[in-house]
Amino acid sequence: MKNILIVAAREFRQITSMRSFWLTLLIIPFSIGIGAVVPQLIAKDEPDRVMVIDRTGGSEARAIAQRFELDRNRNILSDLSRYVQRHHLEQADPGALWAQHDRWYSDEDVARFMASGGLASAQAKIERVKAKDTPKFEASKADYQMVPVPPSIAAAPDTGLDQALKPVLKPEGKDAKAVDYVILVPANFGQSPLVRLWANRQPSQTFVSTVQGVLTRDLRTRFLAAQGLSPQAAQTATAIQPALAISTPPPGGGARESMLIRSILPLFAAYLLMISLMLSGSWMLQGTVEERSNKLLETVLACVSPEELMYGKLLGTAGVGLFMIAVWVACALFGAYATKGAIADMIRPALDPLSSPGMILALIYFFVVGYVTIAILFLAIGAMSDSMRDAQGYLMPVLLLILLPISILMQAVLGGNTGGVLMEVLTWVPIWTPFAVLARLGLGIPTWEVIATGLVLAAFTAAELVLLGRLFRASLLAQGQRPNLAEVVARIRTAGA
Amino acid sequence: MLGGLKSDEHCLIHSVRQSRVWRCLPGGGKNLTVLTIDRVTKRFGEVVAVDDLSFAVGEGEVFGFLGGNGAGKTTTLRMALDIIRPTKGTIEVLGRAPGRGNAPDIGFLPEERGLYRQMSVIDTITYFGRLKGMQASDARKSGLALLERFELGANVKSSVDKLSKGMAQKVQLATALVNRPRLLILDEPFSGLDPVNQGLLEEEIRRASANGATVIFSTHVMQHAERLCDRLLLLARGRKKFEGTLDQARAELPARLTVVAKQDPATLDGVDSAEDKGEAEPGWRRWSVLLEPGVAAGDVLERCIAQQFPLRRFEQVQVSLHDVFVHIVGTPETVQ
Repeated sequence: MKNILIVAAREFRQITSMRSFWLTLLIIPFSIGIGAVVPQLIAKDEPDRVMVIDRTGGSEARAIAQRFELDRNRNILSDLSRYVQRHHLEQADPGALWAQHDRWYSDEDVARFMASGGLASAQAKIERVKAKDTPKFEASKADYQMVPVPPSIAAAPDTGLDQALKPVLKPEGKDAKAVDYVILVPANFGQSPLVRLWANRQPSQTFVSTVQGVLTRDLRTRFLAAQGLSPQAAQTATAIQPALAISTPPPGGGARESMLIRSILPLFAAYLLMISLMLSGSWMLQGTVEERSNKLLETVLACVSPEELMYGKLLGTAGVGLFMIAVWVACALFGAYATKGAIADMIRPALDPLSSPGMILALIYFFVVGYVTIAILFLAIGAMSDSMRDAQGYLMPVLLLILLPISILMQAVLGGNTGGVLMEVLTWVPIWTPFAVLARLGLGIPTWEVIATGLVLAAFTAAELVLLGRLFRASLLAQGQRPNLAEVVARIRTAGA
Repeated sequence: MLGGLKSDEHCLIHSVRQSRVWRCLPGGGKNLTVLTIDRVTKRFGEVVAVDDLSFAVGEGEVFGFLGGNGAGKTTTLRMALDIIRPTKGTIEVLGRAPGRGNAPDIGFLPEERGLYRQMSVIDTITYFGRLKGMQASDARKSGLALLERFELGANVKSSVDKLSKGMAQKVQLATALVNRPRLLILDEPFSGLDPVNQGLLEEEIRRASANGATVIFSTHVMQHAERLCDRLLLLARGRKKFEGTLDQARAELPARLTVVAKQDPATLDGVDSAEDKGEAEPGWRRWSVLLEPGVAAGDVLERCIAQQFPLRRFEQVQVSLHDVFVHIVGTPETVQ
């Protein structure tokens, strides 16, 4: 056992001293970090400046400004609700809208929120119950800011606006502020649905949808009024919208979305298993090939048995894989902390599986045994190869055999397709079992199937350790051409004799 | 009676004292047997690499394992280290069956040598020391002392891939010596070494022997064996052809003399033939004389004196181990 640990420690040190290891280890959290930071860096600190040239008398401009204001207040209400939920501040006013979570706030809700004093009133109530160390609520910034129409542009004919708007959209001078969007609502709006939009860059989908929503509602109101409905009734009709109540069903209870959320963690574990195996497995392979090509195996084998060498390598590489996962998880936790719990709020439902000890056990078991099952294949390939080029010849078919079905499996799970022959086949064939079971854990897999596949996997891994262990032993000092299948079988039989 | 060993050469005294086996070895005296190979055969498929081989090596001996390429030297040493197992026969190392349990007492330098390229010099030596059962601190201390001795004190922390070939060879030797082994097994240790390192290795072999270690080394370079070995074993195609001391090996060949005489020495008893090499000085001729097998040069000299055979010079020509090897094995092309 001592020799196994010494070999494992060397293997661990060897891999973790490689630059490629650290690059690979850090590139994933770095990419995710960049992915999270870049949109914020790209995002403008200031709201988009919007100018509306309303030739109809100003009602459309007012409607658009009100919509922007309404959406802004809806965002504040939603943010406030999440803040209250995260810091358990509902007792400040249990009946307040912001103390009711997991719901979509309707226009009426927002109007009620504003009527009851808005953010200032809510903050005053919260302040009374808030602990001293609870961070202050920070409302998100406004998306849009309305800009008044200069008299020169208001006086310009519609046909001359292209020219007149140039200095507004692309002003000269460092301190001059550009207008991001200019909307022209022509005088005949109602008879003609045409509205013109100028933008100093590609317009955002959200902006276009919002403006379109406001103007569509107005067009419909005009249409209903033209059909004989009173203006109030027409306005009420177009304002009707459902109140969407969002709730998270209890674990195991039904909705596909919720099951997908519960699958995040097991699927993440399956992906981690795959990525860490591919990376650490290839480093282990490289190490084994190095020992053969550098001709130092004989020196090692004079001190440790081939079995000790094999188990030491497996242990060391598994340690590397687990270390990588620990670093990634630590980065994720740091990210969750750095974003003040916002990420944790989002993934909390995904952590539901961890509430079941059986699920935790299954996650750990299939992860670890799955690691050994695949890693030993890399080890055997390394033992048979004199160079990395030789090793690639074996590696590619093995990787394809393992990874192709796994990719299909992941897609199937993400698509919510949990049944079918393919899923069952992948679950019961041992080299795919760890991935399939991990991926299915969140979607619901019968307990008996988890236990039975676990036992089959254990038996397969034990047999694999014996047979590939023999191949490893027989191949270590073998020389000559890359062995073909017959030679591989012969080595396994000879070493077992 | 140890199976396969001639009873007049070896006798097993069935006593085990502190895991050490006492046997009678050639030369008479009771000695500690460090390695016993008893009727060992190793087959690889149809190929017989080692064929019914038996020999024993006593404690403190420097034992040469000689043979051409493919003679079975490496296979035998690997079996002694339990890297491979014999097809037939038994092996005893330090009174025990071969296995990694012997590693703390053994130092091994294989023919094909390599090191972990990314590891530092001292870490490499410490690693192998630990695999041989040493505490990390002891292995490090011993490694540092060896590196100082090998004039590599400035390279302790260098990674192996930064070393020259000669330096790497010294580090490899240090990995074999780090545990101060009782049994040092060196497989073709001089192959690939530069002359400086060859000298260093010879010195280390003598030092280990002086400290009581047993040294077994295989080689096909006869000069090294002549300089270092107490006893030799000649192997050809897996079979033992000779085992004994250097003098016993030389005795396998008829003695040769250089004689300056007035008459033809071929007339003397015990002389097989004499070749006239020309005039040495006026009236005296130089002869190259080959004695009959088993006849000692001293006996012929006594006869010369008794018969008042006129001599100006009587000199025995030293038979080289190379000549012995060629005489016994018969294939000079693989021997240097």
